[in-house]
Amino acid sequence: MNGWTGRILRINLTNGNIGTEPLDPALARDYLGARGLGTKVLSDEVDPTVDALAPANKLIFAPGPFTGTYAPSGGRYNVVTKGPLTGAIAAANSGGTWGPALKYAGYDMLIIEGRAAKPVYLWIKDEKVEIRDAGHIWGKIVPETSDAIRAETDQDAHVACIGPAGENQVLFACIMNDLHRAAGRSGVGAVMGSKNLKAVAVVGTGAVACADKERFERAVLKVRQMIHEHPVGGTGLRLYGTNVLTNVLNQTGGLPTRNFQDGHFPTADKVGGESVAAKVLQRPKGCFACVISCGRVTKVTQPKYKGEGEGPEYETAWGFGPDCAVDDLDAVTKANFLCNEYGMDTITMAATVACAMELYEIGAITRKDTGGIALDWGNAEAMVEMTRLTGVGEGFGKKLGAGSYRLAASYGHPELSMSVKKQEIPAYDPRAIQGIGLNYATSNCGAAHVRGYTISPEVLGVPQKVDKDTIDGKPELVITFQNLTAALDASGACLFTTFGIGAPELAELLSALTGFQYTTDDFMRCGDRIWNLERMWNLRAGLSSKDDALPPRLVKSPIKTGASKGAVSRLPEMLPVYYERRGWDANGVPTQAHLRELGLA
Amino acid sequence: MTYFATLRDIAGKKEEQWDEPAATVGELLRGLIARYGPKFGRWLLDKGDLKLAIVLVNGRDVRDLQRLDTPLAPNDTVTIFPPVAGG
Repeated sequence: MNGWTGRILRINLTNGNIGTEPLDPALARDYLGARGLGTKVLSDEVDPTVDALAPANKLIFAPGPFTGTYAPSGGRYNVVTKGPLTGAIAAANSGGTWGPALKYAGYDMLIIEGRAAKPVYLWIKDEKVEIRDAGHIWGKIVPETSDAIRAETDQDAHVACIGPAGENQVLFACIMNDLHRAAGRSGVGAVMGSKNLKAVAVVGTGAVACADKERFERAVLKVRQMIHEHPVGGTGLRLYGTNVLTNVLNQTGGLPTRNFQDGHFPTADKVGGESVAAKVLQRPKGCFACVISCGRVTKVTQPKYKGEGEGPEYETAWGFGPDCAVDDLDAVTKANFLCNEYGMDTITMAATVACAMELYEIGAITRKDTGGIALDWGNAEAMVEMTRLTGVGEGFGKKLGAGSYRLAASYGHPELSMSVKKQEIPAYDPRAIQGIGLNYATSNCGAAHVRGYTISPEVLGVPQKVDKDTIDGKPELVITFQNLTAALDASGACLFTTFGIGAPELAELLSALTGFQYTTDDFMRCGDRIWNLERMWNLRAGLSSKDDALPPRLVKSPIKTGASKGAVSRLPEMLPVYYERRGWDANGVPTQAHLRELGLA
Repeated sequence: MTYFATLRDIAGKKEEQWDEPAATVGELLRGLIARYGPKFGRWLLDKGDLKLAIVLVNGRDVRDLQRLDTPLAPNDTVTIFPPVAGG
């Protein structure tokens, strides 16, 4: 096959069986790879009602057809599984170099089944696949784990691993690869921990075949130029990283502050991208074949928060910053480093601390609960300590490790969890930006901005400006962005390429690479198919339209200050239109006619 | 006036009081470009029209108002970002 390697690696950790099987070309054509093929396999093989942390759940690592090619920023892979945080389907997306390594080793997908009797790691070098003892590295943080595994396998090995948070089954543990990149959301690292799997180390010496090299090269050169020439993709992201958005959102009144009690934080600039560039940035960094380089290599020298690593990205800076009313950039950066080292999703970690701070504010929790720590708004030291305690699984960190919904519910205030499907809402206030709220509510993996990033038109004006405050046309806009993103995720491309190119260019790249001919419509239909398959899986798991909801605060309590003062989310007006435009019934169930159209019935 | 990202570097300041007459956003931007030069202007205007820069008047994006014809009042707050993105 071209674009795909044509092989799936399947490992059962319960009985130690290791096997390969061919990839069905028709499935590859229709589901592409990564999030798409992963969803298809999960849907076919795993009972949606399974306990996410039971051996019967499967953990699927999947790059896409672009992964490992020189298509711009084509280095991504997804981890697909049932998410323990949400009970919904999870597809956590990561960059770096690990995904390409798996392709070069000869695999489109790695399916992990069962549970090892004791801690193990996988060592994959092309055809050679070993299940190795990990007893000596269990308990180690991500950098130590990666170093130890490279020392006993190959110094060039690409390592994806969990930290102590994944071992302790923190419900928002992530899988880290290349030290600093994360398959971040929904707790995929806890699933890995539940399988006693510490790491997957890969070296691949093969290549990705291409159907029409000249056509692919032409298409790559064209899209590289388009991204380079685009003011956002070519310049903006490299200079300031994603965190330039802190000030943009603050100035437009959509920066969630104090656990979404407000949409404006007066000193947000102190933790924004401009401050990162001035104070902690060492250099920008790109992933495999990246033409953008949004990554931030950073260093903190202040003794209290000393450290080196990567980040903060926008979501992280917002979460540990304004959402906790903290404006100390060194503390925010340190909390980011801790999350990377212990292997935790920064969005859920930060939002859970913010939720705890509000519980402390109203007296629902006291110093007795927190081990004597005052969780006052803006207490940077407490914020960092809560993050550390969660990582090591001690004290109040054990409670925080369940995420904000379970934390708030355990103290009688589930309404104070700013989450959808128990997954924390990211850094754009849905009261100030109507489309993104509809995307959060309907996202199949729980609240996530990167499932339908309508911030691009609603705030940034890319590709065209749309009024953020109106609900007219938003259901259609959200559906288009969700379908495009599902197909893009499945292809192995990076979402940020869309700050320069769109579905027509991705379809052309894919056609040249794979030899299957995709029109723009075909590409978008792949996304629609993946979205509906995820939805059907969630419905079978027991979720329903009741779960397509925002926390009551966001539809009832207006933003208090800033440019979006007075705004609330108008989700209840948008949702029925969204269902109808999706080809779903009034209960949010895909109609048989629509499923047939997509080849799903 | 408040400046962010590269515009902050080019202007050499985070904010300032703008005292020159400017009845519309278009007049204001042309005044800014005259003061801070083409390096500043390249992010704002393309053939006389708005590029992907984010220009806010009291927090409202002028692309949702009357673009360059958006009127200005003496005490308005104007915030300018060059083309940026994130996620």
